[in-house]
Parts: sequence; C-alpha cells; structure tokens
Amino acid sequence: MAERNERPFKTVSGIPLKPVYHARDVVDAGADESVGEPGKPPYQRGAYPGMYRDKPWRIFQLSGFGNPADENERIKFLLAEGEHGFIMEHDRNTADHLYDVDNPNVVARHEDVGLTGAVIMSVRDYETVLDGIPIESTYGHPGGGVVQHAPFALSCYWTVAQRRGIDFQRLAGTGQSDFFLTYLGCVTKQQVPTRAGLRFNSDIIEFCAEHLPRWVPVSIAGYNGADTGLNAWEELGALFANAVEYLDDIKRRGNVPLEVAAAGVGGVSFRISMDFFEEIAKLRIARKMWCDLLRSRYGVTDDKATRLRIHVVTAGSSMTYQQPLNNIVRGTVMALASVLGGVQSLGVSGYDEALSIPSEHAHQMSLRIQQILQHETNLTAVADPLGGSYLLEHLGKELEERAWSFFDEIEANGGFLASLDSGWLHQRAYNNQSEWFRELEQGERAIVGVTDFDGDINPNPVDGFVGTSDAYERATERLAALRRDRDEAATGSALRQLEKVCRGDDNVIPAMMSAVAADATLGEIGHVYREVFGDWKTPIPV
Amino acid sequence: MAELVSKRILLAKTALDGHWRGLNLVAIALREAGFEVILAGMATDKAIAQAVIDEDVDLLGLNVGGRVEVVERIVDAVWASYPGLPVFAGGAIPPWACRRLEAYGIEVYPPGTALPAIVDAAKRLTHVAAAPAEQT
Repeated sequence: MAERNERPFKTVSGIPLKPVYHARDVVDAGADESVGEPGKPPYQRGAYPGMYRDKPWRIFQLSGFGNPADENERIKFLLAEGEHGFIMEHDRNTADHLYDVDNPNVVARHEDVGLTGAVIMSVRDYETVLDGIPIESTYGHPGGGVVQHAPFALSCYWTVAQRRGIDFQRLAGTGQSDFFLTYLGCVTKQQVPTRAGLRFNSDIIEFCAEHLPRWVPVSIAGYNGADTGLNAWEELGALFANAVEYLDDIKRRGNVPLEVAAAGVGGVSFRISMDFFEEIAKLRIARKMWCDLLRSRYGVTDDKATRLRIHVVTAGSSMTYQQPLNNIVRGTVMALASVLGGVQSLGVSGYDEALSIPSEHAHQMSLRIQQILQHETNLTAVADPLGGSYLLEHLGKELEERAWSFFDEIEANGGFLASLDSGWLHQRAYNNQSEWFRELEQGERAIVGVTDFDGDINPNPVDGFVGTSDAYERATERLAALRRDRDEAATGSALRQLEKVCRGDDNVIPAMMSAVAADATLGEIGHVYREVFGDWKTPIPV
Repeated sequence: MAELVSKRILLAKTALDGHWRGLNLVAIALREAGFEVILAGMATDKAIAQAVIDEDVDLLGLNVGGRVEVVERIVDAVWASYPGLPVFAGGAIPPWACRRLEAYGIEVYPPGTALPAIVDAAKRLTHVAAAPAEQT
C-alpha cells in the first residue's frame, strides 16, 4: 500500500464536508426546511406521488453486438430475465459516422465491426433486431445516441412500428440525440456541425409533439458530460444549458406549444458515480432546478412539463479493470444511490465494463442487482426516504447554487453549443480529469484493487466478452443483397427528396421515414448530410 | 529535461469508437515530462505509418479500443516503413489480448496503470536516461 497524504473531507466534486450536519446547516444554506411533497412542484422529493409503490423504476439496459440477429437474441434474453425495456446498441464504427460497412475507414479496421453493437444499416436490419419483440407494449430505445444518427434510428424504428400497424399515439420509447456524447466525449467522429444537429433535434422534438405523445424525443445525457470529466454541478449546469438551446429554438420556430415540447425535453439522463450522497442530492435538486427554470425563463407552469423524469446509467468509468467482480458491488452502490435519488429508469454497467461490452452473465448481473433492490429490500415502499436529511438538503442547496453559476458561465460563453464549438467545455472537463488523477496519484483518493488492496485470488478470471467474428462479412452480404433487391429508382428519388428537405426548413423526419422505407442505407444518408452540412471542426487537438 | 526536447511521440487511436479519457491524460503527462507529443487521432494503418515517417517520431503510442488484429495491422504497416520503432499501447485491452500484443513486440499498459509508469516506459523506450532523483 502506497504512502498516502491525508484524505481531505470533501465530495468528489469538491464540496467541503463537515463531521455532522444539523438543522442550522440547512437553514443557513438557504434550503427550504419544508422540502415539499413527492409528485408536486418543484418535485425535489420525486416526480410522482406514489413513486415506486405505483410503478417500480424501469430496468433498462444498453445491449447488443455483432449481427442484427445476435442483438435480437440478447434483447430477448434480457426481457425474458426481467428487463422492462431495451436500448439498442449500434456498431460505433458505422453508426456514429453514418458509414456503410464498405466505407474505407471501416474496411481499414473491419475486425472491429460489430464489437460494440450490431451493424444496422437499413430498416431491414431494424426488422431483424426487433423480430418477435412486442414493441407496442415494450418500452424501446432504438439507439441513435449520436445526434446525427438519431433521425435515421428513430425513423427506422417508427417505420417498423408503422408496418406492424401500431398506433403512434400509443408507442412508448425514447430517443437520445445527445450532444455530450460525440461533441464533448468522443469527438473523433466525422459528424455534422452543431447547428445542423440542433435543427435535427428540434425537428425530432416537434415531430414527437405532434405525433408521438408517449415518446421522449431527445434525452439529454449528462452522463456523457460527467464521464468526460464534468463534476456534479457542472453536469447539472451544462445539462440545463443544453435544454435551453432546444427550448429557445422551439420557441423561435413557433410550430408547437412550448409546454408540449418541454414535457418531451424533460426526459433526461444523468450519470451516478461512487460519491453516494452527492449523487443522491444531485438527482433530487435536478428536479427542482428544471421546474424553476421552466417557470422563470419561459413562464411554463404545466405539471407535465415541469416534472423532470430521470434515467440513470451508473458510471462506466467507476468500474475497474482489476478485480472485476468488485464492480458488482460498485454497481449495487451506484444503483442504490440512483434509486434513493428517485430515478424512473436505470441501467447498471456490467462488471466487465473496463474489459469489453457486457457478457451475457454481466448483463444478467446488472438485472439481478436491480431486482434484488426492487424485491428484497422494501426500498420501493416509501417515496423519497431520505427527504429532510440535513446533509442531503445542504448538499442539494450547494449543488444548486454552483450549477446555476456554471449555467451562467456557459451562457456568458455564448451558450451550450458555442461552448462546444470553441472547446471551452472540453477544456473544463479535461482539467477536471487531470486534477482527479493528480489526487489519485497523491493518495488523496483510493480505488480498491487499483491503488490499494491489489491482491486477487479470484479463481474465475474475467477475460472480456469477444462477441461474434463474422459481423463484417455478414454486413457486407446484407448490403449487397439490399442494393440488388431494392427499387433503385424509388431509393434514389427518396434520397433526393431528403437532400432537398435538408437544404430547406421543413421537418426532416417525414423525408427520412420515406427514405428508410425505400431502403436507403445509413451510408447513403450520411453522404447526403456531408454534402449539405459539411463536417464539424473539432475544436481541440485529437 | 533538456535531453527530452528532441524526443517525439505519436499517439493514435486504433478504433473508430471514441471514449478517450486515457489518451488525453497520457498526452498531458508525456508533455509535462518534456516529450513532444503529436496526436494523430483515429487513423487507418496507412495513415499512422505515414505519420510516423512524416513526423519522424521516436515512439508510437496506441490507444486500443478494438480488436488486436487491427492493432497488429497498424504495427505491421509502421514496421514495414520504420523497422524496430518501439510501440506501446493502452486502453480497454483484456488480459489475454495484452499477452498476445506483448508477444507481438508491443508493450501494454492496461487501465489502472499509474501515469508515472507510462512516462518511465516512454523514457526507457526512447533511451532517455532516468531523471536525477531531485527532479522527480
């Protein structure tokens, strides 16, 4: 065990911690002594009155790899094991950049194809992934975490629903289209500029406001900001700065009522990491901040709009490569914090997260952790069991003040998208990462199995999930078959129409649905974007 | 630190996937140690091999986010034009893949490696004498 500096008493984000908290800490910090009721504005104590008595949180895991049929099999396995909804994972080599599998950048590393998700290049591939899955009654997330991928992903999913005769009024699910993911976190992508991305997201928000009342159109993922380095209050501030970019744009466009759009935008996701109480406080105060923001900035007071609904993914970066079974414990601790914070849905990272995408067993454990919490602990019996805790209310107030201050800083820098274009937000996140590592190396923080306690006698080493080896070959065959079988004239015409819409102001979704219905491919749609919008210029050296 | 100024390291990503906290931290640590670090981002085998020549580097660092076959192809392309260039790698590399890459002649630093250990490896691989104790 390395020699250590004294560990300072502060949260991982840097809020000082006293040895004990009293009522005066809450009052002095300006927090309201009466924290209100669950299900009533400002919702600090929960989005709904009965919380988990009425409806347990949705067990909702990211899943998929290899071929569309492999992904279909994994989703069915998880649903059979008790998952309540599913999140489709895409092959990042193709999906994120909108490349078909024959793009030279993909061919150059073709062994990687299918490693991180299924290769899905057309609506036919969507039909394979969703085969036998009752999407009319199962909450779905078609993937499309990446902004420029979302119109394609959603249009494919909705086209499958349409072909099955499912009423859009009843179809429930979520999009994502998250700027944090590829404009802050994984910036090494060929992708459209942020303004084009904003237009796509506004198009999706409006399309859902008009046609899909049970669909969360875009789910801002503070997760991806936090896992890139933003601390708890920066995650909050940046998430709301992102939300106002959407709502300001929707207001300017004036096509749908703002409160309807706001109800859609108010389905968000956060990261929960290992700082237990700070993270619980973050989720509780996030709901109040959203309610306050809608009232003060837009005059929106509608209950449905001001009620923030939260999905949580436990921090992948908290999972260690060393002694991976310890990650089951970490997953449990982070899941518990999420539940005490009042999440509506939850995904727990696999214990093999630092090695690979989840194996079937790691996935099953992510479900079992949540099932044990739902069925063995009585956690679901009482709403907001920690409401009124002096520490939590104090931390909530601290986070709220710091988060609004960070929000103002982003606004002063021209807003959320401008802070991405300039690299300002990246610099903040990287500085935090460096600082966090410095604290780790100086012994101010510890990670079990990494900095301390590194002996491991586990007789069953975890070696990482390898997946399938034929994803590239099978995808190449599917692409050839699609191009051979489809009505080429119809595809060409639909793609020309899509290009025309992209160059104008009309909503892109109807043209996208026509294009995918005519068997246009992911890469062909990407080609249209690249012609019309060009590429985002990454503001930092990569 | 003066003797390090001429030592150049190219850092590249092998995969099109993108979380890259690690690469960034390693780049900062190597720069702070006095190396000149060139970031090639995500690039193909041919582009990385070309960059190694164009930038006249002393060491190649690879952030691995995918399969070992892709890493080996990149290293083959590099060694075809610059035989014997030292290569080290980090990233989400399972233990069995670490062993395979090491057998291929690549030094591997899996997640959890302390940054000073990576800096020391860079010094050793570029034949920089260890810094005097008072400077560390």
